[in-house]
Amino acid sequence: MKKLLIRIGMVLAMLVVLNWVYATWFFEKDLRKHSDIVELSWDVTDDSCRIIYLGESSNNTYGEKEANHRKISEFTSDYFPTVKMGDMTKSAGHAQTYYYMLKHVPASSTVETVVVTMNLRSFGPLWIYSRLETALRKQLVLLEDYPPLMNRFLLAFKAYTIRTDEEWDALAYEHRHKDPLDFPYDFEFDDNYAWDSANAWRGWYDFDGKYNTEMTWMAGYYIKSYGFNITDDNPRVKDFDAIVELCRERGWNLVFNLLAEDVDKANELGGKDLMFLMKRNRDYLLRRYGSLDGVTVVNNLSLVRDVNFIDQEWTTEHYYEEGRRIIADHLAQTLRNFYPEDYHNPDSLKMDTGHYFLEGTITIDRQTPYSMALALTADSIRSDWGMVNVAFEINQQDDLSKPIFAVEKLDAQGEKSIDSYDVKAQVIKTGAWDFATFALPIDSTFRTAQKIKLYVHNFSDSPIQIRNLDVSFRPAYLKAKVKAQSYKSVDGDDGK
Amino acid sequence: MVFNSIEFLVFLPIVVALFYVLPQKVRWLWLLSASCVFYMWFVPKYILILLVTIIVDYAAGLLMERYADQPRKKKAFFIISIVSTLTVLVIFKYLNFLTENLDQLCASLGMETHLMTHIILPIGLSFHTFQSMSYVIEVYRGHQKAERHFGYYALYVMFFPQLVTGPIERPGNLLRQLHEEKRFDYDNISKGMRLILFGFFIKMVVADHLGEYVDEVYGHLDEYNSWTVLGCMVFYSFQIYCDFFGYSTIALGSAKLMGFDLMDNFRSPYLSKNIAEFWHRWHISLSTWFRDYVYIPLGGSRVKFGRWAFNILVVFVLSGIWHGAAWTFLLWGFAHGLLHIVEKALRNRLPSKEPKSKWLKISIDALCVVKTFVLVTLFWVMFRATDFEHLKAIFETAFTNFHGGEQMSVKPGMWIYLGLFILSDIVLRNTRFDLWCDGKPLAVRWLIYAVLVFMVIACSSVANFPFIYFQF
Repeated sequence: MKKLLIRIGMVLAMLVVLNWVYATWFFEKDLRKHSDIVELSWDVTDDSCRIIYLGESSNNTYGEKEANHRKISEFTSDYFPTVKMGDMTKSAGHAQTYYYMLKHVPASSTVETVVVTMNLRSFGPLWIYSRLETALRKQLVLLEDYPPLMNRFLLAFKAYTIRTDEEWDALAYEHRHKDPLDFPYDFEFDDNYAWDSANAWRGWYDFDGKYNTEMTWMAGYYIKSYGFNITDDNPRVKDFDAIVELCRERGWNLVFNLLAEDVDKANELGGKDLMFLMKRNRDYLLRRYGSLDGVTVVNNLSLVRDVNFIDQEWTTEHYYEEGRRIIADHLAQTLRNFYPEDYHNPDSLKMDTGHYFLEGTITIDRQTPYSMALALTADSIRSDWGMVNVAFEINQQDDLSKPIFAVEKLDAQGEKSIDSYDVKAQVIKTGAWDFATFALPIDSTFRTAQKIKLYVHNFSDSPIQIRNLDVSFRPAYLKAKVKAQSYKSVDGDDGK
Repeated sequence: MVFNSIEFLVFLPIVVALFYVLPQKVRWLWLLSASCVFYMWFVPKYILILLVTIIVDYAAGLLMERYADQPRKKKAFFIISIVSTLTVLVIFKYLNFLTENLDQLCASLGMETHLMTHIILPIGLSFHTFQSMSYVIEVYRGHQKAERHFGYYALYVMFFPQLVTGPIERPGNLLRQLHEEKRFDYDNISKGMRLILFGFFIKMVVADHLGEYVDEVYGHLDEYNSWTVLGCMVFYSFQIYCDFFGYSTIALGSAKLMGFDLMDNFRSPYLSKNIAEFWHRWHISLSTWFRDYVYIPLGGSRVKFGRWAFNILVVFVLSGIWHGAAWTFLLWGFAHGLLHIVEKALRNRLPSKEPKSKWLKISIDALCVVKTFVLVTLFWVMFRATDFEHLKAIFETAFTNFHGGEQMSVKPGMWIYLGLFILSDIVLRNTRFDLWCDGKPLAVRWLIYAVLVFMVIACSSVANFPFIYFQF
């Protein structure tokens, strides 16, 4: 036994020496090779940044034909010319990755404020159990808090989750199947899988009645990506909690930048149920983190219109320049609270033709029944446009209000026609701001009209408030007809 | 559970510690439970297949012994056991291959069939079925008493260190040892640890680094020139050797920690002067299995040359098919058999005089070693190729693309690791690492341990390469 104890002592001494050798000559090289995200943390220190922006591909993805390749973080930086801002961008990154990146920002850094991208989709099973996870988790092993040799030992002996693509897929499927969908009203399906399956089974059809495979598939993808409930035991929530804790320890201001999702498409393809889940998940995050000291949540969820999303057949948060600028502008307004003296409006937020944003709040009831209106002439409707997306925020005092969204057209003979769309079908909340969106096809009456007016009309005595009417026109790449629940007029025409 | 995982590094000390703590009468239960956990770590349900084989062969052993004086009955039980074990093997290992070929055959005759099955091969099936069969054959031959204790028999088939990739043990060695009381012995612990450490070095540092190169080149043949592909062939020879040798060495070490001696599976095979010698040094537990249970019953070498050649071809083709259900494996086995026959035919015709000069003998021996290595390396291409198309592409690129494509550089570290391994293989050609260490002074030993520990931890490949022989 004595011999054994001596040998154990010798082994320990050997490990201490080997750890020193490894830490001195090998560790940094290994970190750069196997955990290259740490370089991002080091670069931030080298550059003496005061604000750091952590994001995934949404930060640095740009359109193929775009001349301006600048990132969201760079646009944001324009608002604070005297404050050095750096970014740590890791494709497919998520809260866990960000946590490790932040942990390795050296104590000597000049960082004061941390902006962490919060991506709604990343809370869903499709991303949590993504095929990229094995590689991502492998990257984190060397960044653990153990001695360097121990970290390398854990990496050598694969102390991280290794699953095949099929195993990750199976896990995502299991959670989509197992995790219940929680609605405050009766909902047809118990889980995401059942919902998605029904979508596939029912399918989407073109105006001419032809089955539209692409549309059916895309609707399924939206349901898979956003049709879930965030709960306290969601792994991403735990990771964000850890980030909050870390930022508190390091004395950093923390800003969660909740990214914009393509709510127009989500509404078109998933209807009010999907929108409800998205909004509730957003509210959960706003409630959980927005109320914490030292934490601010920037809510960009509905800020970017469909036309500004690069990937039109896929759920991503990749924006064209305008989208990146919108998010940067919104984020800058929050950062302004931390750096009021350094704020400077670069006046670079110019909207492309086809996007109209009517800011402000208006109360409408039977006496003042119309909201702010967007008036257009025939020549402002481009021939390549096929759809118009409308979004606005609404606050109804009670359930008695009768708002509709109206499209008023005046033809060449001076005859007026009004298409109306039921707003109530989308609005669930009373006494609080809610969100309504419409995706309307631009048909022949639209094109032949001399004048077009878009506005909200309230037929009841019960007042409602409308704010931020946002209208964007876009090409007709989606030819399928819109589902009934998101396209129902008040006079019973269900839009078919 | 794989050996080069953190799970195994936690699992093994617990198993070993409790093995010594528990009384002898329950150790079998402990080891059997541990073996079940080890196996079920992969795909739990496959243990049921193992259980079927164990029950059938256990019962067959007892029945054959009971009816030892009634040869017909005894033979019937023997046949039932062998057929049922082989049926399991055929269903899970060969059915996909058979049905796929049947579909292709029917298609060539103008018939459209959809017989193709998609059965997943349970890990280590070929190994434990052969181990179980060796028990049944030995009992049938009367060389081994039937095991009465079901637990011990199950443990013999399932003993975790060698469960999934061998060595394929014989009951005369392993079953006997399982009954023996093993006392804690520092020497066993020390030797076991040395073997495990050396096994990790071979697998994780040498084989896996080579694997990265090999996978890249064989996966993108159109991008590389002939020199790279030829180099890759050589690297694959060492990759497969180090991978399998590494596993066997860790298996030996793990068993040794508990005082069990498993058979050596490799003895510097690339130092063989001819193919016959190669098979005496490569995967010894399998080649001796085929020798004892196929080759000798067929008549062995005590027959005319033609019959002997037939026996050799049967054994090698079976060996090829044992490795994998694909035509490339069959071709690989056939090529080895053919070379074996050609070499023997040439030896019979050439004068057998030893050269008088020592240096001339050494030179001739060295040339023979190189010749054998080159041929074995060429044959490994058949083993590695995914199908005939791939095989053709590898040979075409290797011999016709000297001026096109890129030259893939080899990292300096890889040369160092490979050089160290080759050196160790030469030094250990007549011994084993744990035994070789015994004769060294303490300081030298510990210096070697330190270097190996450091290399295993700091220089191992981080790519995830499962052991190559897991697929068999």
